[in-house]
Amino acid sequence: MKKILIILILLSFKNYAQEIPITALETVDGDSISSEIFMQQSGKPIVLTFWATWCIPCLTELSAMNEQIDVWKEKYSFDLYAISVDDNRTAKKVPTVVAGKAWPFKILLDTNQDFKRKLNINSIPYLIVVKNGKIIFKKTGFVKGDELKIEKVIADNQ
Amino acid sequence: MKKIILLICLFIVSTASYSQLSGSIESYGAWYLDDAKIKLEPTETDDRLRANSYLKLDYSYRNFTTGIQVESYETKALLNYSPKFEGTNLGTFYLNYSNSKNTLDVTVGHFYEQFGNGLVLRTWEDKPLGIQNSLVGGKVKYKPWKALELTTFYGSQRNGFATDLSESTLFGFNSDLKISSILKSKSSNYGLGFSYVNKHETEIDVPSAVYLVSSRGFFKRKGFSFDVEYVFKSKDALVEFENVNPNYLFDGDALLLNLGYAKKGFGVNANLRRTENFGFYSERKLSRNSFNQALLNYIPSITKQFDYSLTNIYVYQAQPNIRFEPDGNKAGEIGGQIDVFYNLKKGSAFGGKNGLNIAFNTSLWHGLQGRYDDTERKYEADFLGFGQKFYNDYSIEIRKNVTKKWTSIVTYLQQYYNAKYVEETVGEVNSKTVVLDNLYNFSGSKTLKIELQHQWADAGFKNWAAGLIEYNFNSQWSVFNNNLYNYGNADSSKKINYYSFGTTYSKSATRVQLSYGRQRGGLVCIGGVCRFVPESSGLTLNVNYSF
Repeated sequence: MKKILIILILLSFKNYAQEIPITALETVDGDSISSEIFMQQSGKPIVLTFWATWCIPCLTELSAMNEQIDVWKEKYSFDLYAISVDDNRTAKKVPTVVAGKAWPFKILLDTNQDFKRKLNINSIPYLIVVKNGKIIFKKTGFVKGDELKIEKVIADNQ
Repeated sequence: MKKIILLICLFIVSTASYSQLSGSIESYGAWYLDDAKIKLEPTETDDRLRANSYLKLDYSYRNFTTGIQVESYETKALLNYSPKFEGTNLGTFYLNYSNSKNTLDVTVGHFYEQFGNGLVLRTWEDKPLGIQNSLVGGKVKYKPWKALELTTFYGSQRNGFATDLSESTLFGFNSDLKISSILKSKSSNYGLGFSYVNKHETEIDVPSAVYLVSSRGFFKRKGFSFDVEYVFKSKDALVEFENVNPNYLFDGDALLLNLGYAKKGFGVNANLRRTENFGFYSERKLSRNSFNQALLNYIPSITKQFDYSLTNIYVYQAQPNIRFEPDGNKAGEIGGQIDVFYNLKKGSAFGGKNGLNIAFNTSLWHGLQGRYDDTERKYEADFLGFGQKFYNDYSIEIRKNVTKKWTSIVTYLQQYYNAKYVEETVGEVNSKTVVLDNLYNFSGSKTLKIELQHQWADAGFKNWAAGLIEYNFNSQWSVFNNNLYNYGNADSSKKINYYSFGTTYSKSATRVQLSYGRQRGGLVCIGGVCRFVPESSGLTLNVNYSF
């Protein structure tokens, strides 16, 4: 069995540009939408950041991007989705937290973490950048100042 | 099992050019070392070096995806995980078909699912809590049109490794209908949902079928939202200390109400819930087990979820179950919480140059008012009666960008915690906690975090002081030192400083953390579900990598 596992692990290190897996997400209006929407927008980069209302580093990341987003929008063509992985204990708070913080991001809900699981994300905050349906950038964790790195990825993929 | 993995390997190799392999490696390791104050229990000392490790591989080919998760608990699982997690074996396997619009989704093997708010069914994975309660069987999800989603499944529940299953079979059906889409309403969103879950578990003199039925609805219009769910649970036998008692049968129910209003810069949210005899397990004898095994539904504590160490000392846990005990009877809980979020704009009188965020929360939980007879094992609960007080808290959190480089968060939390009912131990605790969290960004990702905390409590562990200092050299490397000192403990041998220091490396999808120090004993809670961990000391190494 060990040999089989080693083969599988070696195969996994092949350099793939991972595609977005297909799964259902929910809008704050209660609509179900497919993650296929991230594959349809060709050309411009799409930033997906996974967060939760109770995660302090996630709130720091979204607040930091909120401070920059007006400038970024003027300079670059891109989309930004904040995907909440709050489960049903806290998912009802998502619209009120977003409104309370006056965030302009597009919000989607992944309440049973199906999308997070399919992307093999183990901890949040976690950010990916998608272009032409392929994941071109991944980032786990956030410290203040990392928003400059995110801006660079957006700028480099115009 | 080897055959399954071999077949998957062959499939991958034969289709490599049209396909994609992705996955992750996670490992949480500990080398438990005794120190002057903290020693491992004698029953645990033979295996001081342990790790919970997970290798997950997903392989997709056009619209098909297959995958496995191999789990390893060597030399044993970390402290206080279920004894079923021992050795290395296959944890999950599945094959899924999903069309590109995701209107048809079919899975065989292990799968996760949630109906409604999770009260009727939720299976999910939370490794730090030891929750791996996937279902094993077949599931079909179908959306005949945009407004309607139908789901059905049949199978058993995982209870251990991939082929260790609970001794019951499960059937479930769920439908969600968005009426506002059918009526093409543009200003409002509203819909209905219905779910049914049946568990078949054969046992002498006890109902073999226990079912839950959920009805729910939601309405949203111009920032206002309302949703309600009611779930009925059919009769099941009373379980006390893993003994199933066929002489006492009780049904149960749950009612959940959520109300919210949000506009730019302001949000308010209220969640109210009543549960009575509502625990639901795939094996009834596992009711209320401390390892969270065989859980079928999700009943989180509806209180604010905090992210600071001292605000997580007295954590409320939901009380949905029956317990007959002289001077300690309970059959469920009733209560709720209110959240208010407010953003003071930049340039306003209180918002200052950089603005200010305020979050307020309060929650209150009581047992069900009723008439209890612990000798005869009988009770009658009022529908809207507030019995014994279980928990109450108030908190306020203010977040302020003091300057462009300096962010400060001040949190105040006041709690009442009835340990006698919540933990089924003794006593009541009143506590007040203050947290001052500061983040200073020098340049680039060079950041210093200083977190100071203090808790005053009149009972329980009494007073605590805590401090965390973390320095990020850049976005990849950081070092930290954390101290939690229980200086007020009435027992002088328990006046322990739970210190730890370590380093974290993080790049792309890789995160590695190495630390040395002491782990406080108590409840580890995520999403309102908790697991008890004993205190320990030693070296820990956590590795996360995904591809």
